[in-house]
Amino acid sequence: MPATTKNSFQLVSNGILNENPIFRLALSMCPAVGISTTVMNGVLLGIAVLFVQVFSSCTIAAIKNYIHPRIRIPTYTLTIATWVTVIDLVLAAYMPTAYKEMGIFVKLIVAFAIITMRLETFACKNSVQASFWDGIGMGFGFMFGMMALGLVRELLGMGTILGYDVLGFRPLLFFVLPAAGFFCVGLMMGLFNYIELTYNRKKKGT
Amino acid sequence: MRIAPRAYLFPVLFLIAGFLLAGCGSDHRFVKKTAFQDTNAITIEFAGPVEGSWATDKSNFTVYEKPDPDIQLIIEDIALGPDKRRVTLTFKDDLNQDQPHVVTTTDIRSERRSLRPAILTVKKLYLGHLLSIFIGAMIISNFVFTKYLGLCVFFGTSQRKSTAVGMGITFTMVIVVSAMMAWFLYQFVLKPYRLDFLQIVVFIGLVSLSVQAVDTILRKVNPALFKAFGVYLVLVIANCIIIAVPLILADNEYNAFESLMLAVGAGLGFLIALFLMSSVRERLDLANVPPTFRGLPIAFVVAGLFALAFLGFSGMSIF
Amino acid sequence: MKEIIRITFGLTLSCLVAGLLMGSVFIITDEAKKQNEQINEHRTMMALLGYDKQNPAPSDFNMHTFYRYIIQEGDVKTLGYLLPVGRGEEVGYDLVILDLEGQFVRKEKVGLTPEAAAEASERKAALREVLPPSKSFTYADSTTVACLGDKRMAYLIPGEFPGFKTFIEVMMAVDPSFEVIGLEIMEHEEDPGLGAEIEQDYFKNQFDGKSFDQVKGLKVIKEPMPEAYREYLESETSEETIPKEAVDMVRRQYQDEDIYALTGATISSQAVTAGVKNMMKKFAYRVEILNDVISHQDIPVVF
Repeated sequence: MPATTKNSFQLVSNGILNENPIFRLALSMCPAVGISTTVMNGVLLGIAVLFVQVFSSCTIAAIKNYIHPRIRIPTYTLTIATWVTVIDLVLAAYMPTAYKEMGIFVKLIVAFAIITMRLETFACKNSVQASFWDGIGMGFGFMFGMMALGLVRELLGMGTILGYDVLGFRPLLFFVLPAAGFFCVGLMMGLFNYIELTYNRKKKGT
Repeated sequence: MRIAPRAYLFPVLFLIAGFLLAGCGSDHRFVKKTAFQDTNAITIEFAGPVEGSWATDKSNFTVYEKPDPDIQLIIEDIALGPDKRRVTLTFKDDLNQDQPHVVTTTDIRSERRSLRPAILTVKKLYLGHLLSIFIGAMIISNFVFTKYLGLCVFFGTSQRKSTAVGMGITFTMVIVVSAMMAWFLYQFVLKPYRLDFLQIVVFIGLVSLSVQAVDTILRKVNPALFKAFGVYLVLVIANCIIIAVPLILADNEYNAFESLMLAVGAGLGFLIALFLMSSVRERLDLANVPPTFRGLPIAFVVAGLFALAFLGFSGMSIF
Repeated sequence: MKEIIRITFGLTLSCLVAGLLMGSVFIITDEAKKQNEQINEHRTMMALLGYDKQNPAPSDFNMHTFYRYIIQEGDVKTLGYLLPVGRGEEVGYDLVILDLEGQFVRKEKVGLTPEAAAEASERKAALREVLPPSKSFTYADSTTVACLGDKRMAYLIPGEFPGFKTFIEVMMAVDPSFEVIGLEIMEHEEDPGLGAEIEQDYFKNQFDGKSFDQVKGLKVIKEPMPEAYREYLESETSEETIPKEAVDMVRRQYQDEDIYALTGATISSQAVTAGVKNMMKKFAYRVEILNDVISHQDIPVVF
């Protein structure tokens, strides 16, 4: 893929809509299912992923000319692992309650396919600036995906949003359970597919 | 694909025998076995007959839970078996059998001789503990359906039974190798030097190394196997479970056997999940699914149903 | 050949840079982590005793912590208590060694200040100076005593026990007659919406006010909680005002009852009840022995 010609705004919106990591690219689904029980969790993990994505993209873009092609993958892995450790330590120290909620998933960011893939397909071919905006786009895309899921699950499961009691009762506690994460992601993917199908049909029709 | 079963039989039997013996051994030559009985009793079996007057005297025994040596449990009754080798201590309150208990005795009197006092540890069978970790990792907290890890690869390779089984087996092999190496490094390098924060980097490095190692070994040892599974090896790296297992065993401070059980359980659990999923998906391909749901969305819904089913296992504790 | 050297060199360099970055972040954040933990614990303890921003503690309020160690030499085990004692104007620490039957063995002066004693590594170093190398020691637990002036107001006991998922960490406040003042769940990994409800007032406030004998025989009832009881339990922290007679009537009615389990979380409820029972029994046993020794040996403890 040659270097991109999009400007920063297009890069960011690309990450959020066209190439949304969770719903379109179908990557990094583990946290989408497991952690999206509340909106707050989604926001926090989204921020962590944003941080790792942006910093890794920028680092790789900055040193892309010095990376020997044979050790590409280990270099990506090392970069991601370093930044994940950094954010892990920072979160554990400054936001201990939030960190406990997310449990092992912060450390698992290192295994998210989305970050490695993004480095491979984008960061190693583009400038630092472009990679920065792309990273932001991807990170926000991930965060919005998690927030959307979290919104549905928290509202239907506990009747609250961000901890504020909105409904006053709990419609379907089932949605807080892990199994419901699968259902929600599946249904949302179906929704996205439906939107795309009707959009394409309309485009073809006009 | 046939792995010679007989070659693996001997080492497995040896391991099991080792576990059983390890659980049975005791710390005194004259005491053969100690065990919990019912909810509030401990039995001690001696190698020879003991004197009735010594055995039924409560003041000759002190019992406490291992972490609380200053709180002695009250013995309500002592019974001596008819062959005079078996002593049963019954307690007032139910015993907390998850904690190892320590029984100390005064000089054991047997057949007019006086032997050394004994300090015995009573705990639930170690093999039981290991098996409970194994079954826990495999079914009760199945990594895919209960812990939602490894989903990307899960959905990617569960379309056909053959790919699913192949991925599952490759994965089990890699995870056992990398978990053992991770345990080794954690215990002997990271912990003593307080380098805990390097866990993530070290473990992912290990994973890459194990993938490389399994790749090379398979190529040489069993090329047919390699041709069948080689392509999945690369996918293993992007799997959350492969990082989660070393992190969990570092967090819980498991020893070598427990780590092995965790790794094998995780691998087999993944295999089971993949197999179940692929069986369903093969049929789904032939079913009449609405266009917006075809492919991944319906697969997620099916996974949700499986997760619900596996929820039924939660809270199970066999040993 | 040259390529392999270049590759290795590049990799090693990157590893070193990465290591440096992580190491420095670790050093910076470790301090902050410990501080945050201590602040959190302190705030929980004050909340358990009923003090917060609107209701600050009186000026003669004080908290002192003593630590218990198990000392082992060969096969013989003894208990060591690190007690804060008054030495003139200052507070120092003494190591009081008891045997397993609760008999006093000996007392040693230990070079620790209350601030240093909060660090496990400092305590370990101080103990190492006082005990011969043949004795090994392991940390058992700690208890904080809250005092108003000279009188003991409450004991704050941290505890950990297995729950439904992994472990549940709690902090319990008991008064000198071992009646429960309050229970706070510090850490747990239970399911949200099910086992995690043990954090809610309507579950954990059930333990408030139960006497020592009641706690010893506490059981779990698997029935739905009466609505009046639930309102009363949540009223302690809600803004609604319920008339005092109604509150007293509900309290008298339900004081002697066992613990109502959470819907869908029987195992978690049982785990917390069993854990609290065990903690209370062991603590009461030990504190009575300790108080005996303190009075017989005239140890000048500050609490």
